[in-house]
Amino acid sequence: MDRLDLPQGTLDLLILKALSLAPMHGWAISERIHQVSRATLQIPQGSLYPALHRLERRGWIRAEWGASDNNRKAKFYELTRAGRKQLDAESDAWARLTQAVALVLDMG
Amino acid sequence: MFEELWSDLRYRVRSLMRRDGVERELADELRFHLERETEKYERQGLSRPEAERRARLAFGGVERAKEASRDGRGTALLESIWQDLRYAWRGLRSKPAFTAGVVLTLGLGIGANAAMFGIVDRLLFRPPAYLRDASGTHRVYLSWTESGGESRTERNIEFARYLDFKRLTHAFSSIAAFQTRSLAVGEATDARERPVTVASASYFDVFGARPVLGRFFTADDDSVPVGKPVAVLGYTYWQTEFGGRSDVLGKTIRVDRGLLTIIGVAPDGFTGMTDQGIPALYMPITAYAWGMRARDYSKNYNWSWLEIVVRRKPGVSLTVANADLNSAYRQSTIAEWELARRKVDLAARRPSASLGPVQLGRGPEAGQDAKVVVWVGGVALIVLLVACANVANLLLSRAVKRRREIALRLALGVSRARLVRQLLTESLVLAAIGGVFGLATAQWGGAALRVLFLPNQPAAAVVTDARTLAVALIATLGAAVLTGIVPALIGSRSDLARSLTGASRDSGAARSRARTALLVFQAALSVVLLVGAGLFVRSLQNVRAMRLGYDVGPVSIVSMNLRGTKLSPSEATLLGNRLVDAARAIPGVSLVSPVASVPFWSNEGRSLYVQGIDSIQKLGRFVLQAGNADYFRAAGTRILRGRAFEPSDGRDAPRVVVVGDGMAKLLWPGQDPIGKCVRISADTAPCTTVVGVAEEMRMRSLTDLREHTYYLPLTQYDDAPSALLLRVTGDAADFSGTIRRALQPLMPGSAYVNVQPLRELVDPSMRGWQFGATMFLAFGALALALAAVGLYSVIAYGVAQRQKELGVRIALGASRGSVVRLVVRGGVRMVVFGIGIGTVVALWAGHWVEALLFDESPRDPLVYASVAGVLVIVAIVATALPAFGASRVDPNTALRAE
Repeated sequence: MDRLDLPQGTLDLLILKALSLAPMHGWAISERIHQVSRATLQIPQGSLYPALHRLERRGWIRAEWGASDNNRKAKFYELTRAGRKQLDAESDAWARLTQAVALVLDMG
Repeated sequence: MFEELWSDLRYRVRSLMRRDGVERELADELRFHLERETEKYERQGLSRPEAERRARLAFGGVERAKEASRDGRGTALLESIWQDLRYAWRGLRSKPAFTAGVVLTLGLGIGANAAMFGIVDRLLFRPPAYLRDASGTHRVYLSWTESGGESRTERNIEFARYLDFKRLTHAFSSIAAFQTRSLAVGEATDARERPVTVASASYFDVFGARPVLGRFFTADDDSVPVGKPVAVLGYTYWQTEFGGRSDVLGKTIRVDRGLLTIIGVAPDGFTGMTDQGIPALYMPITAYAWGMRARDYSKNYNWSWLEIVVRRKPGVSLTVANADLNSAYRQSTIAEWELARRKVDLAARRPSASLGPVQLGRGPEAGQDAKVVVWVGGVALIVLLVACANVANLLLSRAVKRRREIALRLALGVSRARLVRQLLTESLVLAAIGGVFGLATAQWGGAALRVLFLPNQPAAAVVTDARTLAVALIATLGAAVLTGIVPALIGSRSDLARSLTGASRDSGAARSRARTALLVFQAALSVVLLVGAGLFVRSLQNVRAMRLGYDVGPVSIVSMNLRGTKLSPSEATLLGNRLVDAARAIPGVSLVSPVASVPFWSNEGRSLYVQGIDSIQKLGRFVLQAGNADYFRAAGTRILRGRAFEPSDGRDAPRVVVVGDGMAKLLWPGQDPIGKCVRISADTAPCTTVVGVAEEMRMRSLTDLREHTYYLPLTQYDDAPSALLLRVTGDAADFSGTIRRALQPLMPGSAYVNVQPLRELVDPSMRGWQFGATMFLAFGALALALAAVGLYSVIAYGVAQRQKELGVRIALGASRGSVVRLVVRGGVRMVVFGIGIGTVVALWAGHWVEALLFDESPRDPLVYASVAGVLVIVAIVATALPAFGASRVDPNTALRAE
């Protein structure tokens, strides 16, 4: 299956959604998105971390060092309250966008 | 949204501060990710190395991810700037001599500008403290045409006129009258002359100040004609004389003749209209006027002694206000003439009133000081430019020396913009250090300048003055850009291959051109400054050499201040004689004469009538001087023809006069003035015969050629003398104390004697030229030294570059002397070119400076020739030193050198 390129700006949305379920570290986020999208979405792993730091800068996620499941030190991220609000807003916008596009495509 | 910005800021600051920690965390995070990914591939059955490779592939570029993360942190710009700063600091620390030299050069340039700005600011821009509305407040100047046809502008106005203005104008919310006088404050032996501002109650309305204690005057205290005897203390005076105690209200203080009650204290920093010193106290103008002449002065149009300041009503434009004042002045003039029962002739008189800015230095009576100060301010700017050119040259040389390092960095992928930014950061750091040093210089040097130039203004630290700091900052930034931009642009050019392989000939044509241009620029500026210095020095010499008509050094002026003690005319004469006798008896005093006029202090005059001349007033100003038989020898005024006064010129003897030589030439051109007849005071007065011709005295100005003097014997003078002139053996300043102690006991009551060496009265008039000469000379020498150092370094560098070429020449048989001559010629040629440009600029700028010179043409060929000569000599010396060094090089080493 071909990998689809991620439309711009949606990486943030995916990260926020992944973190809305539980706090996880960067690698886990990457795996989770890959699994859940039925292996369609492969995020370029290099761009994950800049996105994470950007989101942390804007206060939507918060970082903390903790122990991973095999007891190694890892940096865990979790959603903040502002991040949750942002997630809702962006999902909403995304839903409306795709609906609108679908309507237009159905036109003809 | 605000939350977002706040967390954004916090994040950036945190990352900046913990940069190393953050980097480590990033590395750890990425490493963890790679480990997990590797394990994933291992679980799928790949070997460890293979798994690692797949993981790395899947991840993409680790370094790139790190870099992108750093960008995501949002601190990239700040971090690179911080990096630049540290790099620049390291570089500068490694070359302490270079750094010190540059810092010193820039510091002097920036400091000079900060100091000069401080002075120009106070003279021209800064309004007095506490002024409520600086742009709406104005001084009043009156102009009219005299009967002789010349027009006069005055800011001294009569009280009656002030009342008229209050009555007749509608455009002003406040009209205030004021004057600052030097009055005796204190009792008996504590009496000292201090500046006292006498002001109307409306004076305080013009300012937004509140008293720190008590109150200011109200209209009640300031009623015409007898004001109330109250006083408001100045803050500094209150602190020093009364210890800042709050029980000072209600106490009395003796000022001049009267006893005043203290009703308030002005706030700190309040000095009113600061042009005559910091007032010790303020008193109502009416109280003062009544004390001076206990007569109704409210209708007196002959006594013009006060200044007026007005505040426009909000919404009233300057033109409307001016017109209003003008019409009020005209009406007032009509009222004045009707009162004097003279014919009203407004057309001839042309009275006009104008509103001038609050700063005296910008008004119609600006005076020479203000203009000279502005020029010297410009000079300081030029010195800064010369300093910057020098530093730019030095930085350029340094950039060229570092060309390998720069080429390497370019090859490693640093963008040119980044490189330019890094080089500019260096010059910014240098300029910043120079700026700090400059502020220190300005504080210390500026204090000296202020003492010289603004003795009447409260001192202020440079460091706390916002405007001066702003100017220093601008100068620093300007210096940084000016010095850095050329070396940065040129130094970052990539003659890459050649630099890396270390090819010997550094063609660097652009660099040489830039260097030469800078040098020519420096030489030209030095010429301009030195020409200015030369012109001012010559002016000063001319001023000093000028015959004033009297000796200044050995002469002391003694005046009496009766302070209200009433003396009958016979008592006054007796006191005068006793003083003269006592003065003669003082050891060291050789001659004594009572006088009517004192130069730069008070003038007397009478109307003169000479047969055949219609109106003498039109021809000039004639000052009357009176003295006893010793006068001419005491003052040092030379008799040119005829005789001086003799004992035979008694009270009832025939009237005699000694005229000034200029006056003689004016009134009786081509004839012998001896024996001519002059009528004094009235057309019908008996003839006063001219018996001698003497030097004329400079009374009010050093340069006004229309000032003339004539001398009457004291016995035939119809008024009392105004002072005593004493001639001492030696310098008058040394005798002031002795004279005071000898004469004070003779004074009745609370009267006292005031002793002043004549020099103190005359010197201020020379101050402008003195200042100009000193500053131009100092700055010109500084600029020349900077240019010489610049020239030396440029030639030294050029010689080092041409080692090979010069080595070849010597090897081919050229003599050492010819090599030296070759190098020197090259250097001198540049300087001569600069001299040419500088001369043209100086000639062009000359006509503006003409008004400030004394008896000196701005095109004086002697000055230009000497300056050119000095520059050529300095150029020869500055180029010869490295040239000699070059000529001594062994051709073998030169040829082998890279």
